[in-house]
Amino acid sequence: MIEIDSLTVLFGGVRGLNALTATLPEPVTGLVGPNGAGKTTLINVLSGFVRPASGSVRIDGENLDGIVLHKRAAFGIRRTFQNEQVVENLTAAGNVAAVLDNVPTGGRPRQQLIEAALGFVGVASKANVMGANLNAYERRLVEIARATVGRPRLVMMDEPGAGLSQEESEHLRSVIKSIHNYCGAQVLLVDHDVDLISATCVATLVLDFGSQIAYGPTAAVLADPKVRAAYLGIVEEGA
Amino acid sequence: MFTGERDVTDQTLAYSPLVDAKRVRLKRVAAVVVALAIVVVLPEILSNYWLRTFISVTALAIGSLSVSLLFAQLGMVSLAQYGLLGVGGWFALRISHGLGVPFELALLTGGVVAAAFGLVVGLPALRMRGLYLAIITLMMAGAIQVLISAFGFPDGGAGILGKSTGARIMMARPQLAATDEAYFRYAMVVLALCYGVVFLHMRGRPGRAWAMIRRSEVCALAGGVHIVAYKVWAFTLSGFLAGIAGGLLAGGVGQLDGSAFPASQSIMLFALTIVGGAYSWMGPIIAGLMLRAFPALLNDLGVDGNIATIVFGAGLLHALITAPQGIAGQLQEAAVALRKRFFGSSGAIR
Repeated sequence: MIEIDSLTVLFGGVRGLNALTATLPEPVTGLVGPNGAGKTTLINVLSGFVRPASGSVRIDGENLDGIVLHKRAAFGIRRTFQNEQVVENLTAAGNVAAVLDNVPTGGRPRQQLIEAALGFVGVASKANVMGANLNAYERRLVEIARATVGRPRLVMMDEPGAGLSQEESEHLRSVIKSIHNYCGAQVLLVDHDVDLISATCVATLVLDFGSQIAYGPTAAVLADPKVRAAYLGIVEEGA
Repeated sequence: MFTGERDVTDQTLAYSPLVDAKRVRLKRVAAVVVALAIVVVLPEILSNYWLRTFISVTALAIGSLSVSLLFAQLGMVSLAQYGLLGVGGWFALRISHGLGVPFELALLTGGVVAAAFGLVVGLPALRMRGLYLAIITLMMAGAIQVLISAFGFPDGGAGILGKSTGARIMMARPQLAATDEAYFRYAMVVLALCYGVVFLHMRGRPGRAWAMIRRSEVCALAGGVHIVAYKVWAFTLSGFLAGIAGGLLAGGVGQLDGSAFPASQSIMLFALTIVGGAYSWMGPIIAGLMLRAFPALLNDLGVDGNIATIVFGAGLLHALITAPQGIAGQLQEAAVALRKRFFGSSGAIR
């Protein structure tokens, strides 16, 4: 469970997040909003890349202020990037191993965990292929494998669905939906693809100008006129 | 998903690229045979002049290895490494003359002290990279140059600096390797050990962490890599290697010349590491050969050895323009092309 309490982020005079308060208990939560709404900023605060001016975030009851940057992955906060960050001179398995080096294994053999993670996302056959030789979709899957290995609590994905074919997109949906059952982690999904959000997310948080404008079951939230006006740019007829 | 036979505990071997195991074994056997032949035969056939040259080549190959470790693994430029060679040489000489300890202990002391200096050199790397890091490490090499040329190297005298006023005493070589032939073999074993240390790092946890840092710092942070610790460790290890190289050089010659460690040599060492090929294991050896064997060859042929500098300049231009993998990369490409030509098969080695 993510508990965000009056979180404010300042970039110079610009408010990236403006006293955002939200409680996100669902296993898969969508995070949507127009460009500049603060979606990536929120993910960056959780990752520790951005220091908030005020406010706090608790994950599973633990205040993130007390967890130094390089310990957050071990605590269970993982993410994928909008621009994929697969290491090109490591194999797919090496990429997963590089993260597994720094997170708890729960006493299970490393080899087994690595194979399980690659198998889970569906690139087990590419284990020994160098990152440089993986295609764009395989790289994205390797990033998810990196994020799900070794007892994660929260997996955050920044626009994983961008630029995928129909087939890849359907596979990605099934992967995202099964992350919670696979490793018990909560998923926070940022994407502009409303179809992807509705297909995978139980609940959705909508941001605009760094504040919450709606939160609730995905279908209800996306139908909210306020959301449609701010995010989808659709003005209700007669309005 | 978990087939029993794949559950091996050896992580380093399990993810080596998928290549024909038999061929790899054959290649390894061949490599060991060639290495043994070089260690056994080469010292026997070389003249004294070339023996001493090749001792320096071996030491400088370790120095170049310390440069390529930082450059290939982390993408970091350190122009202080030749200065660190001097630091390692200074402390190896000092402890050898002062305490009369066995050579190995003097060598290790030189390595450890140079590692500490390397750590200091690496501290700016936590904040900067590229040109700025290069400049600041070069300034450190300059500082080391000033200290060394002011105080000189210990040569058996009294006092903290160990400077003698009369005859210079030579550094004691290891008991096993008192002759030039034996010392050359000894140096090659040390070189092999240094390669072993670097390979263990590359294939293990530090290598993966360095690869993540080189990809990007956000990538490393998201993966839980302690960036500061791994950067500092890389510079420390690199300093250690440079120190070992310096100690080995001191043992080879018996003494070191206070004017032989200018900052410009650090630039030369870096440039030739690039020309040799920083990304290949062969690169540092090629760099060592170019630094010492090539000028010696010119001298042997009666040509001014300083012409080597001109050739190196051209070589660097050539490497930057056409061969980013250096000479080592070109040799590998040539080997692949030859294999294709003679065996017709896909000779890809990667």
